[in-house]
Amino acid sequence: MGSPSPADQVSRRAQVLAGHLRGLQTSTEPSLSPSPCLQYSPPELASPPPDFNLSDMRKLMDGHNLQDRDWLFGLMIQSKLFNPRVAGGRVFVSPDYSQSMEQQREMTMKRIHYLLDCGVFQEWLTGRGPEVEMRKFALHEVIGMYDHSLAVKLGVHYFLWGGAIQFFGTKRHHDKWLRDTENYVIKGCFAMTELGHGSNVRGIETVTTYDSKTGEFVINSPCESAQKYWIGGAANHATHTIVFSQLNINGKSEGVHAFIAQIRDTDGNICPNVRVADCGHKIGLNGVDNGRIWFDNVRIPRENLLNSVADVSPDGQYLSAIKDPDQRFAAFLAPLTSGRVTIASSAVYSSKMSLAIAIRYSLTRRAFSLTPNQPEVLLLDYPSHQRRLLPLLAKTYAMSFAANYLKMIYVKRTPESNKTIHVVSSAFKAILTWHNMRTLQECREACGGQGLKTENRIGHMKGEYDVQSTFEGDNNVLMQQVSKALLAEYIAVQKRNRPFKGLGLEHLNKSCPDVPSQLTSSTLRSSQFQTDIFCLRERDLLIRFAAEISQLQAQGLSREYALLQSYQLAEDLGRAFSDRAILQTFLDAEAAVSSGPLKVNIGNFLL
Amino acid sequence: MAPPGSTNGDGEQVLVEENLFLRTLILNRPRQLNALSFQMVSKLLELFVAYEDDCNVKLVILKGNGRAFCAGGDVATVVHDINGGDWRLGAKFFWKEFILNYVMATYSKPQVFAMPETALGLFPDVGASYFLSRLPGFFGEYVGLTGARLDGAEMLACGLATHFVPSARLSLLEAALCKLDSGAPATISSILDEYSQQPHLKENSAHHKLAIINRCFSRRTIEEIISTLEREAVNSADNWISATIQSLQKASPTSLKISLRSIREGRLQDVGQCLTREYRMVCHVLQGEVSKDFFEGCRAILLDKDKNPKWEPSRLEQINESMVEQYFSKVDDEEWEDLKLPAKFTFSASSLAKL
Repeated sequence: MGSPSPADQVSRRAQVLAGHLRGLQTSTEPSLSPSPCLQYSPPELASPPPDFNLSDMRKLMDGHNLQDRDWLFGLMIQSKLFNPRVAGGRVFVSPDYSQSMEQQREMTMKRIHYLLDCGVFQEWLTGRGPEVEMRKFALHEVIGMYDHSLAVKLGVHYFLWGGAIQFFGTKRHHDKWLRDTENYVIKGCFAMTELGHGSNVRGIETVTTYDSKTGEFVINSPCESAQKYWIGGAANHATHTIVFSQLNINGKSEGVHAFIAQIRDTDGNICPNVRVADCGHKIGLNGVDNGRIWFDNVRIPRENLLNSVADVSPDGQYLSAIKDPDQRFAAFLAPLTSGRVTIASSAVYSSKMSLAIAIRYSLTRRAFSLTPNQPEVLLLDYPSHQRRLLPLLAKTYAMSFAANYLKMIYVKRTPESNKTIHVVSSAFKAILTWHNMRTLQECREACGGQGLKTENRIGHMKGEYDVQSTFEGDNNVLMQQVSKALLAEYIAVQKRNRPFKGLGLEHLNKSCPDVPSQLTSSTLRSSQFQTDIFCLRERDLLIRFAAEISQLQAQGLSREYALLQSYQLAEDLGRAFSDRAILQTFLDAEAAVSSGPLKVNIGNFLL
Repeated sequence: MAPPGSTNGDGEQVLVEENLFLRTLILNRPRQLNALSFQMVSKLLELFVAYEDDCNVKLVILKGNGRAFCAGGDVATVVHDINGGDWRLGAKFFWKEFILNYVMATYSKPQVFAMPETALGLFPDVGASYFLSRLPGFFGEYVGLTGARLDGAEMLACGLATHFVPSARLSLLEAALCKLDSGAPATISSILDEYSQQPHLKENSAHHKLAIINRCFSRRTIEEIISTLEREAVNSADNWISATIQSLQKASPTSLKISLRSIREGRLQDVGQCLTREYRMVCHVLQGEVSKDFFEGCRAILLDKDKNPKWEPSRLEQINESMVEQYFSKVDDEEWEDLKLPAKFTFSASSLAKL
């Protein structure tokens, strides 16, 4: 019938048993061997080691406070609050973005308190001088690499609220508020933007009047468009805020001024006559509790006016050393430059991270064989893939030097250099944040499906960093301001017959550079030539822009309308200025590196 | 036991016992508490390298004769050599020792450290910047800076040890391991489990003080660590705090600063980078150009034993950033080169340090 005979069964059974007994010496050789297609090899092992010293390169790129940065990295990986995970013998930390908005906000505050206890924020407001400021920048950058929400929440409290006290306030404000701010005894936020006014700060509608009988200012939101909006920290935690408002004294509007108002008591209850609402869930930065604020005739002591630029006497007289309201306003906004500096810097780090991830990926991921029976080709071995990522990498190197340069001129600022810093910081903020978004997108695409995992960071960073192009100054508006500043300088030079000085425009004092008719490869690669063509482009656009404005005005247009019409030239000029300035920082950095493999590699990037 | 095939070479400072797939290496300088001499380090290195490629060796046990396992590197001899002339002799010792450390740390074969209940002093070299920095929170800074001794229970609690076996059961454990023919970590671990017990932390153990240790030893600088401890002391009657402050105040200020930086850097590096960095540091220590504290410390504690070292620089404020930086840079000497570690090509979990 087909079933085995008893004898067969016995012999089969004996064979099976014998097999068990023989198999007693367990071989250390696993019966499964890895198949090539399943083998993952990190790029560090595959390629030969670089010919330059990695820590020297790091020193060059990070620029400053390396030990402080490493200390902070150490603080984060040693605490469960930062979600450490061990994989492949290394520790990875990343926030859990799948948590709810409320949970993310709570975790952000917990992380802040931990870092506070470790002494990270010491001297951030009570310290003075370039050394302290550079350390502050370095630590803030590291925090941003971990989580943009954490950096923004801290930025609002220390750089915006704290910065306003430092730069708009006077001694009495410093004595009363700085230490408590540094130690998080109070939590500050910064109410400038309104529902109806963001870019146009001068048009904000919150109104403050003075009651000389009680010696109080009265802050009011007269209509819905006057409500403060997007105020980081206001929705859940902030106890105090800087309020920007029109100041009306004796029936006259004196323009925008800054005041301190309390919005929550120490128990977390909203103060009377203040209304707060939540801005709700966002496409990113859900670790920051952005809120809306209405002031219903809120009364604050006269001393709460931040009076470094203007003041109101107890009997209600408006006093200011600066008579011109435009100049007064400019003096006001100058200190907020630090925000633009930190934003530009964090944009660069975001680009660096996304490029590092995408390039490493492309050094391990394979797709398609070029010849049969050969292993598939590494993504980065495709010229097309190189073309997508490597120019972005080179630009990021340039922008890294530009960001470090910006930090340097900021911490060494003088009243004379303020104008230059204002223009350069606006330009760099715009260019670096735009570059970051472009880089994030390209890197996300370069990672294919893996780019969609939040865990893989790049795609998620798009949502987190998108806001950078519109907050702290809409990039387009900033570029227009840059071009206006250049135009003003150009016109001043023509009028007063003096040479160009500042803003890097000195090259305009020389004659137009010669572009050789024969462009050989070595010419193209020379830094002189590259400087020349960037300067030429800036020169040409500035002259054409000025000419067009002048022509339109001659035709009867007002200056404002002429500027509106010439928006294209303005934009191109803004970019030309920024590109030339960034190139200059790259060339300067390269020149400062002593000869060796490091210099060679940096030099290659310039091309 | 005098088993066949046991080799006693090299003045018998390292005894070797062979049993089937097991090799037992016994440190044999009990009167010096098994402090590692240059001979011992060389011998151990030779043996470890040989065993790695020998598929007849599946398990290595390290033991110490006498009441101590190992008191670390034989520092007294190193100092003696240097005082006789050349710092480079000392450097040679550390070179070998650190290579051995690297080999042991990245060993592909499982190792068991047999220690009778022994108090162990930890010194922040020999890869300590790697393993101390990976202890929970900032316990590593505490241990490295104060030189605190950890007993067996504490080593288990902070992850430096995986099992605690009372000395009474050690010989039974060894016998069980002898019979093994498998090098599988899970198998070895389960045998260790059978003989181990859960020791209790003493009531005054530093391990109970993790919260305050983390608050204080996470601080950015030595000065801040001390001032934070002093602030805590105001609010607390705990002797432990004042004892900790005292250890820091008695230590060489230069050592404190370079140790702190070493541990912090090590936290972010792999074991090879840590040893490379530590080798540079130890060479600068031996050269004695920035500070001669190492020699003064050995004199006061090991040689003359007056326990009253005169540190120079004597105060933390006298040590600036560039002085600290010097210890971390390459040595300016024609013949000197950075530590050259054996290449570990196989990318597997085992090529990453086990500690």
